[in-house]
Amino acid sequence: MALRLAATGVDARYGAVRALNGASVTVEDGETVVLLGTNGNGKSTLMKCLMGIVRPVAGSIELEVDGTRHDLARLPTEEIVGLGVALVPEGRRLFPKLTVEENLMLGAFRKSARAQIATNLAFAYEAFPVLAERRRQLAGTMSGGQQQMLAIGRALMSSPRLLLVDEPSVGLSPLLVSQTITKIEELKKKFGLTVLMAEQNFHQAVRIADRGYIIVHGEIAFEGKTVAELQSNEIVKQLYLGGG
Amino acid sequence: MFSLELLLDAVVLGVMVGCFYAAVSIGLSISFGLLDVPNVAHPALLVLASYGAWLLGDFDIDPIVAGFIMMPAFFLLGVMLYRTYHETFEKRGSDAGVRGLAFFFGIAFIIEVVIIMRFGVDQRTVQAFYIGKSIEILEVRIPMRMVAAFVVAILLSLALTLYLSKTFLGRAIRAVAQDEAALRLMGANPVAIKQWAFGIATAVVALAGALLIIVQPVEPTLDRAYIGRTFCVVVMAGLGSMSGTLVAGIILGVAETIVLTMFGASWAPAISFTLLLLVLGIRPQGLFGR
Ligand SMILES: Nc1ncnc2c1ncn2[C@@H]1O[C@H](COP(=O)(O)OP(=O)(O)O)[C@@H](O)[C@H]1O
Ligand SMILES: [Mg+2]
Repeated sequence: MALRLAATGVDARYGAVRALNGASVTVEDGETVVLLGTNGNGKSTLMKCLMGIVRPVAGSIELEVDGTRHDLARLPTEEIVGLGVALVPEGRRLFPKLTVEENLMLGAFRKSARAQIATNLAFAYEAFPVLAERRRQLAGTMSGGQQQMLAIGRALMSSPRLLLVDEPSVGLSPLLVSQTITKIEELKKKFGLTVLMAEQNFHQAVRIADRGYIIVHGEIAFEGKTVAELQSNEIVKQLYLGGG
Repeated sequence: MFSLELLLDAVVLGVMVGCFYAAVSIGLSISFGLLDVPNVAHPALLVLASYGAWLLGDFDIDPIVAGFIMMPAFFLLGVMLYRTYHETFEKRGSDAGVRGLAFFFGIAFIIEVVIIMRFGVDQRTVQAFYIGKSIEILEVRIPMRMVAAFVVAILLSLALTLYLSKTFLGRAIRAVAQDEAALRLMGANPVAIKQWAFGIATAVVALAGALLIIVQPVEPTLDRAYIGRTFCVVVMAGLGSMSGTLVAGIILGVAETIVLTMFGASWAPAISFTLLLLVLGIRPQGLFGR
């Protein structure tokens, strides 16, 4: 019943742009790990590498599920999803012209997920009652906060064990950011998830984190084994806490 | 020249013709409307299916039944066409649209030439119990073959609408056009989904082609008359809307029939292009586009 993610020395490029430079990140079973960094430092690229959307040019990405190791750097995205990994992408990436319920149903596209669709749909509606009220509304016509809820709900429809969340705070009001982060924590406990979350919003992210990484220019600049370690770090002080 | 009676005649017949137009366009509504594939070979495939129905007619097979029989073969043909298009153009990105257009023009040309070489340029017709008779609807005489096409068209639109909204694959087909990368994150393979959808779009053409030869005699170059009509209906509908396709088909059908009754047959072919330009000018997202 063990899950472990280990990205080691990952390099990724977009043409001449070096987006990741030997980035190493691990996530252990049951943890909430945050990947902190300001805009353009490679957070999304790392998330995309984990999902097989961007292929690293060097390094390895290994996911151990119940004693079996899988090389995520080689598997197609469909199979990575099949292993129990789901990404809530940056900017939600909903299907705007489909209804809320259709978006959720698509989250359960894989055959293994279809078997649990009724249960998962009920869970999603229970977690986000507003989605139940608006199940027939087009996803594109909802507010930013509701869209973020739908994006998270949709990811949960595949019964994931490892949930990747890329900048859930983007475009949300401070109150909604706080609610969303709290919700992620709540869902994590409820479903026994392991979470890796990329965020710019340091204060909100560390609220639910066990530990975290600071990413700067595609490199892991600091690894904090506890939230306290993160808070007392010089780079963090410079970037987020106005000190340094 | 103008009489209310004539107008009523034209409208009732126009609705029938319009549903038939919807049926011959609905495959394109998937391939072009939903999948963004510039499938200008659609009308040529339609004519190919008409010839198939004509050939099967030699074995005393009803044309509508023939349409269904041809569906699996057309499905495979569609899968092959999409695969080729994807590997040669779509995968390479940027100017796939324009070069894909050339590819499908080529396919249309090949189909036309093959039909001419194999079967000549003569008009072909089929036999069925409902062809040649007529019935009265609202005191208007309607040819039975139009009624047959009408019924099949309605059922086809209904079936596709249900398929696209109630099944996993159907929803994925609608999603793939909206955000391919996001669909991948759902654990679906967008290329496989598109290939399947193009197969279905082409399978539907098999049935639509059978309707075509029920409604009118078919010759190898008839596809040219349907380029404007099918694209007009699909664009007017709002790309990818199945119910929209039905309504847009009816609008075109009624418009054509009225113009035909009032001003003569020579004007009819201009109607679809005029409507197409009007829609593009006034409401480019189509009547039901969102
Ligand atoms: N599709 C792309 N093509 C080219 N460069 C990209 C692309 N996506 C991201 N980049 C570049 O890669 C770097 C890292 O981007 P990203 O991973 O999106 O950062 P973050 O998520 O931390 O904001 C940035 O310099 C960005 O401009
Ligand atoms: Mg990002």
